[in-house]
Amino acid sequence: MDHICCISINHKNAPVDIRERFRIEPTDMLSILGKDSEAYTLNTCNRTEVYWTAIEKEMIYDLLERISGIDKATIYQVSEYFTGSQAVHHLFMVVSALDSLVIGEPQILGQVKDAYRKALAANTTSTILNKAIHRAFRAAKRIRTETSIGAYSVSVASEAVELATHIFGDITLSRVLVIGAGNMADIAAKRLKDRGVNTLVIMNRTHNTACELARELSGTAKPFESLEEELSLSDIVISSTGSQHPIITRDMVLTAMKLRKNRPIIIIDIAVPRDVDPAAGKCYNCYLYDIDALKSIVDRHFAHREAEAATAMSIITAEVDKYERWISSLTAQATIKDLFSLVDTYIEDQVRNMPLPEAEKAVVEQSLRSSFKRLLHRPVNFLKEHPGTTYIEYMRRIFQLDEDFSDRHKG
Amino acid sequence: MTISAVLILYGITSLGFIVYLFLRKEALQMPLRILFISCTAFHLLFVLTLWYQNGQLPMESPAQAVNMLVLFSSLAFIPIALRKKTAVLAAFFLPIASFALGSIAPLVQPGVDLLSGSYQYWYPLHTLSVIAGEALFVVASTTSVVYLIHERIIRKGSIHSAMSALPPLTLLDSILYTSLALGFFAISVGMILGGLWASALGLSFRSIAPKVLAGALMWLVFGLSLHQRFAIGWKGRRTAIITLIGFVVMVLLFIGINLAFPDSHGIRLI
Repeated sequence: MDHICCISINHKNAPVDIRERFRIEPTDMLSILGKDSEAYTLNTCNRTEVYWTAIEKEMIYDLLERISGIDKATIYQVSEYFTGSQAVHHLFMVVSALDSLVIGEPQILGQVKDAYRKALAANTTSTILNKAIHRAFRAAKRIRTETSIGAYSVSVASEAVELATHIFGDITLSRVLVIGAGNMADIAAKRLKDRGVNTLVIMNRTHNTACELARELSGTAKPFESLEEELSLSDIVISSTGSQHPIITRDMVLTAMKLRKNRPIIIIDIAVPRDVDPAAGKCYNCYLYDIDALKSIVDRHFAHREAEAATAMSIITAEVDKYERWISSLTAQATIKDLFSLVDTYIEDQVRNMPLPEAEKAVVEQSLRSSFKRLLHRPVNFLKEHPGTTYIEYMRRIFQLDEDFSDRHKG
Repeated sequence: MTISAVLILYGITSLGFIVYLFLRKEALQMPLRILFISCTAFHLLFVLTLWYQNGQLPMESPAQAVNMLVLFSSLAFIPIALRKKTAVLAAFFLPIASFALGSIAPLVQPGVDLLSGSYQYWYPLHTLSVIAGEALFVVASTTSVVYLIHERIIRKGSIHSAMSALPPLTLLDSILYTSLALGFFAISVGMILGGLWASALGLSFRSIAPKVLAGALMWLVFGLSLHQRFAIGWKGRRTAIITLIGFVVMVLLFIGINLAFPDSHGIRLI
């Protein structure tokens, strides 16, 4: 049985300037996809991941080298390689947002689903990966409903709003500037809007994107060039761009503070790398918080988070175990064994309920066994001759050999 | 009405507001408001009784001045304690007020430290203006302490700690500014009236110099914080620090000068 393998280039090992060079689509995989192999690719702002079965690892590295233009030695350094249950575990962690930069963030599930749709359209996934991805969705759903880890990401945005409230009190009259259109900035802006903020200014290097977000949030889009002017007018600034260098410097904040006569300003920098020079936080009446500061506030708030994380991990482990059990059952021999076991259970149930003496029951049981054996002879032989994953999967589904399929016919 | 009863009321109200600071139970607000008003009303009643019994405004001694300062500060705190967002400030003011009242309680009794002699009608105006100004500085200083604590909490990001439910910084800054401006005005009026009074009595500058210079210094400190606010936009932390320095100066001058120059001020000069 082919195991799942995975190469992950993510925020933990690769800086943004490396990460942004990797973008691999399912169609890129077609050239190296064999008859029985499968592939699934995932691209987000914090990670690029390739999952596959039955492909040589080096072929994937070659493909990544070709796409990114980065030499293989560097790719080895900045990537993580998982195989077997480790790869499944990693996939489940990613889909459940436990491997995300902001633990529990809700966007990743949508991104994984989008990537899966692309993979289905390109026909690059089959039994093994389909099952793994569906299991991952199930694990993510369980974690979201059985733990409060999902509240954590919303909390990062909520903490930003909470901090602003501690400074300004009533924030409905505050002017809010959102720079960039990242997910967290989007959530934070929505939170502020929910709290009744009236004046929302959106700024992005791509002005059209700013206009779209401004339309969505009933705000105003401003060109990126007016950043300095907006700094002097805004009370709350949320920045989340993909810039490699600070877009707000200490001098800019000093000038803005002078123009705003030291009226307090709160700057929430959610970008990685940071959008705001940390020295700007030393300016008088400027309150600067980066993502780490916000996360530490949330961590302190969520004192029970450790317990929640432990629950989430136990869910992941349980779901990986289930998947592993399914994988190990995915051989012709195991399927035939499960099939006969099912028949035995069925016959025993039937005979037990017959109003016959024990001696006659034994005869009937023997007769039934013989009939079922003859009935199953052809499908079992077919399975032995064609021990492919697809047929095994069909056989298991037809006879409902896995718990997953049994409940579909209830009621 | 005795000072002990007033003191007990101050103590109970202080405890109530401290509990409110940590628990923040909405249900506590109304009983605490009633307690605060009652304790201030009883204090006022006590002062009026004292005035009636002594036949003169009870402000002749430093102890009586402190008693008056506490009463005026409590009166100035009423609008703050009644407002939901700012009620918690009373938890910082009342313990100090109780301590101050407790330390001078034995000296504030009818007949104690009573000085005879006539004084001109605007002597009470001078002292009342100055005490009102100082009471407003007490409000400003309490607000400054809360501002600095809250700002530190915000900078450290400990916004979910028990102490974090303090009024927002901009609101604190606004109370600070209002009390400073009104207090500065009252002190200025008090100083002018004091100057006129001394001049009418023909007192030499040398005889009143220690306290006048000290008062002028305090006036300058508070004037400076207001000036900096308007001139170069000092808001928040810097104003709070200057106010606290000014308050410490005020307390030290009050204690120091009354100890070193007991006869340099007040109707003992007459």
